[in-house]
Amino acid sequence: MSNIDRRTLVKGSLAVMMAGAAFSRGAFADTSEPILLGVSGPLTGPNAQYGTQWKQGFDLALDEILAAGGINGRKLAYNFEDSQSDPRQSVAIAQKFVSDPRIVMELGDFSSPASMAASPIYQRAGLVQFGFTNSHPDFTKGGDFMWSTSVSQADEQPLLAAYAVKRLGLKKLAVLHLNTDWGRTSRDYFVKAAKEYGAEIAVTEGYIAEERDFRSTLVRVRDSSPDGLILISYYSDGALIARQARQVGLKQVICAASSVYSPKFLELGGDAVEDVHVGTRYFPEDPRPEVQKFIAGFKKKYNGIEPDAFNAYAYDAMNMAAAVVKIGGTDRRAIRDAFAKVKDVSSVIFGTATFDVESRRVKGAMNAELVVRKGQFALWDGKPT
Amino acid sequence: MSSWLDYTINGLIVGNVYALVAVGLALIFGVSRLINFAQGSIYLVGAYIGWVAVVQLHTPLPLTIIVVAVAAALVGLIIERFGLRPLQNSVRIAPLLATIGISFVLDQLVMLTFSPNPRALPSQLPDVRFQVGGGTIGPLDLLIAGVGLTSAILLFVFLRYSKLGWAVRATAQDRDAAMQMGVDVNRVNQAVFGIAAALGGVSGLLVGMYYNQIDTAMSLQATLKGVVAEVAGGAGNVPGAVIGSLLLGLVESYGVAVFGTSYRNLFAFLLLVLVLVLRPNGLFASARQAPPEPLTGTFIAPSRPVRIPRWALLVAAAAFAILPLFPVSFYVLQTLINAWLLGMLALSLTLVAGTIGQVSLGHAALLAIGAYTSALLSLTFAVPVGLAVIGGGLMSAALGTALISPSFRLRGHYVSIATLAIGEIVSLVILNWESVTRGPIGISGIPPLSLFGHELVSPTSIYWFSFVVMVVLALLQGRLLGSHLGRSFRAIRDDDIAARAYGLSLNRYKSLAFIFGGFAAGVSGGVAAHLYSYINHETFNTQQSILALTVVILGGLGNVVGAIVGSVALVGLPEVFRIAAEYRILIYGIVLLLLVRFRPQGLLGTM
Repeated sequence: MSNIDRRTLVKGSLAVMMAGAAFSRGAFADTSEPILLGVSGPLTGPNAQYGTQWKQGFDLALDEILAAGGINGRKLAYNFEDSQSDPRQSVAIAQKFVSDPRIVMELGDFSSPASMAASPIYQRAGLVQFGFTNSHPDFTKGGDFMWSTSVSQADEQPLLAAYAVKRLGLKKLAVLHLNTDWGRTSRDYFVKAAKEYGAEIAVTEGYIAEERDFRSTLVRVRDSSPDGLILISYYSDGALIARQARQVGLKQVICAASSVYSPKFLELGGDAVEDVHVGTRYFPEDPRPEVQKFIAGFKKKYNGIEPDAFNAYAYDAMNMAAAVVKIGGTDRRAIRDAFAKVKDVSSVIFGTATFDVESRRVKGAMNAELVVRKGQFALWDGKPT
Repeated sequence: MSSWLDYTINGLIVGNVYALVAVGLALIFGVSRLINFAQGSIYLVGAYIGWVAVVQLHTPLPLTIIVVAVAAALVGLIIERFGLRPLQNSVRIAPLLATIGISFVLDQLVMLTFSPNPRALPSQLPDVRFQVGGGTIGPLDLLIAGVGLTSAILLFVFLRYSKLGWAVRATAQDRDAAMQMGVDVNRVNQAVFGIAAALGGVSGLLVGMYYNQIDTAMSLQATLKGVVAEVAGGAGNVPGAVIGSLLLGLVESYGVAVFGTSYRNLFAFLLLVLVLVLRPNGLFASARQAPPEPLTGTFIAPSRPVRIPRWALLVAAAAFAILPLFPVSFYVLQTLINAWLLGMLALSLTLVAGTIGQVSLGHAALLAIGAYTSALLSLTFAVPVGLAVIGGGLMSAALGTALISPSFRLRGHYVSIATLAIGEIVSLVILNWESVTRGPIGISGIPPLSLFGHELVSPTSIYWFSFVVMVVLALLQGRLLGSHLGRSFRAIRDDDIAARAYGLSLNRYKSLAFIFGGFAAGVSGGVAAHLYSYINHETFNTQQSILALTVVILGGLGNVVGAIVGSVALVGLPEVFRIAAEYRILIYGIVLLLLVRFRPQGLLGTM
């Protein structure tokens, strides 16, 4: 490349950068239009079910926000772009959102690669990326425009470890975990906490998300003779492991992370998940009014379907977004600053949620200690199984 | 140790499950010499029809099986009649690509009908368990084994002793000769597709019951495992498919036993590569079997490439070069950046698949190698990003070529299967080699692109950077194709025996092609890594490889301009259809099918 080319290249790019910046600043302040949030998430592809669940949660929250008078009289709405949770698509969507002046904040993406690939774009453009399912420890380190209501595994896993070791009295544990960034991080926090509480880790086994057959893994588990199995799984693989564990004759106590909490876990696991212990942040029989209001509303809107944790995350995220926009208005930078100002937002997961400005996450995850009894999740009554 | 008995039993049980898919694949391959990538989708359809029968209609088990078999067979017949028969006389790769398109369409239709949430498919057999070794087996395990074995035996008998079976085998051996002898080839094909689809549907039902779980994402995994099992056993050999499946199950089970769960699929794919290298026709191919593919120009369409005049290319390049000077949105620029990155990958693939005829289905592995190398060089060793990207390209060229070299002696479909396996192996090594790749956590905080100390962070500068890199690579490749070397490449593609007779060293030329192609792909991966700032083992997956192949075929195999046009089209199409949300992959699949149907030699034709 000749010198002239290079110089024009740099100059041209500067000019266009400035033009682009000026263009995206020009916010329209039409108050009859709804305030628009961008959502980047999977509607097709292998994670499509989560995008569908997000929509249900969002729509319920939006109905309630509108019924309560909207955001200072304006409607709140979202523009859901299908990324398939693929980083190539999430970066394109990010450019679409940052250059659309109507978008005041972004929610998503579902997985860490897709979210974190888009983070630099949001950070540079100064648009909040609100990743409510992103527990990757580095997600909020992407910059001060990255915020998350996803409970850091550093918070959640010690609670599960306490349930397993202190309350259930398990001393020798086998840990099965999804071998993804999430599963791996969770496993590390869990193992650390469990050891601190005095348990021994007999074996840890990581499996890939597409795996369906766990029999051989379970033989390894059996040979390490643990007195409890810990599942760091999603509900579909968690149910599979529980079933196959019972089929190959393992009778140990099973204790699972909150991510299995879903009516689907019971449906898919059948008899095999009876007596499985689950530490969860979301439990529908929780008498707290936030939870009961969410469930009643959800069942009414969706023909009696029971909501699950991902519905709740999305519902909470939309409510949090509304609270932030209420304070920050429609200016992108002011919205970023508003995250530090919102206090005690009513939340299904946290009760009330306030951000920790340092980590840009919500602190103080609660755990309900559940057990599956007669095919239903129930609060654990303290009796050993 | 008593546990070995358990590992063996478990391996055989899961091998059974794979056999159900593999037998259907083998049957179709035997007749049409086609790896049917839609078989997994028929399996998916079967599972959901089964769900409707069991959960909604409460049919008893024998009736459930009949309903699923008949419905799936119908789907198979429709696929054969409308998806594949029109492609009979087109290039070999066209039906392969069509099956990929069909699988998109079927998967999406099922997803739109039933929602992507997983469902429970309760087993209709009593839940009793028999103690065997330290574990247990149940009636469903036995039923699956029974269905797998019985269907293999029945098919074997059918092929060997019935008149239609003879016709099937005659068609498999020489389609034209069979036709001249009065065999109704279409009827044969139809029968085979019907049977294979019925089997595929029933396997989806049984496997769904086995796990008490079905979901709309299960088809690709089923296809992958089925293909591995089938090819290991000897493509087109029905009893071989069963034995290959059991072997695959055992290898996986023993792999878990010795090395742990996270290595599971690694050993499955290593087995495949090993079998292909040692016995390219599969373990149970007879020694006198005819070569698996006609030797001349297997995948290449006889077509006259569209010559685009030089001035038109210059105008187009200039138009794209000055595009950012106009007020276009960053979204358009980002979409085009994605197209340029895919373009580099497509250049790489069009060289190895189109020019020298080694169809690769694992090309994303080259991206991954380039991306990880570049990311780690710049992060760990503080190498300037520009150099790190080049380092990524060099590493892809070297390592990629070394990894793929065992497949050089393979032909036709076997090359694609071997490269598919190598792609999976690379991804699994990245997942497990934690001390270097950071395993599942992935690499974050990768510095942005930079040039001579200036960070390129705006979409415009990244656009220009990636565009220039792609254009340079394209010019080099154009030069290469016009040279003596390029002619040698095409000679090897068109007739490797004749090429060898003229004294061309096949392995050396194939290596050269992969070195050049690996470099382009590695650079693409490297740029992507710095663009995304975070990568993990899932960032560059099989779907990327399939997309790249689609691009190359769409543009025209071996066609440099075609690769770029294809990239712009295939990155652009899903974006254009973005508005259609859940329907867009369905539309994409249909567009793909139409393209294959009406322009199998690609938009610009094969060079």
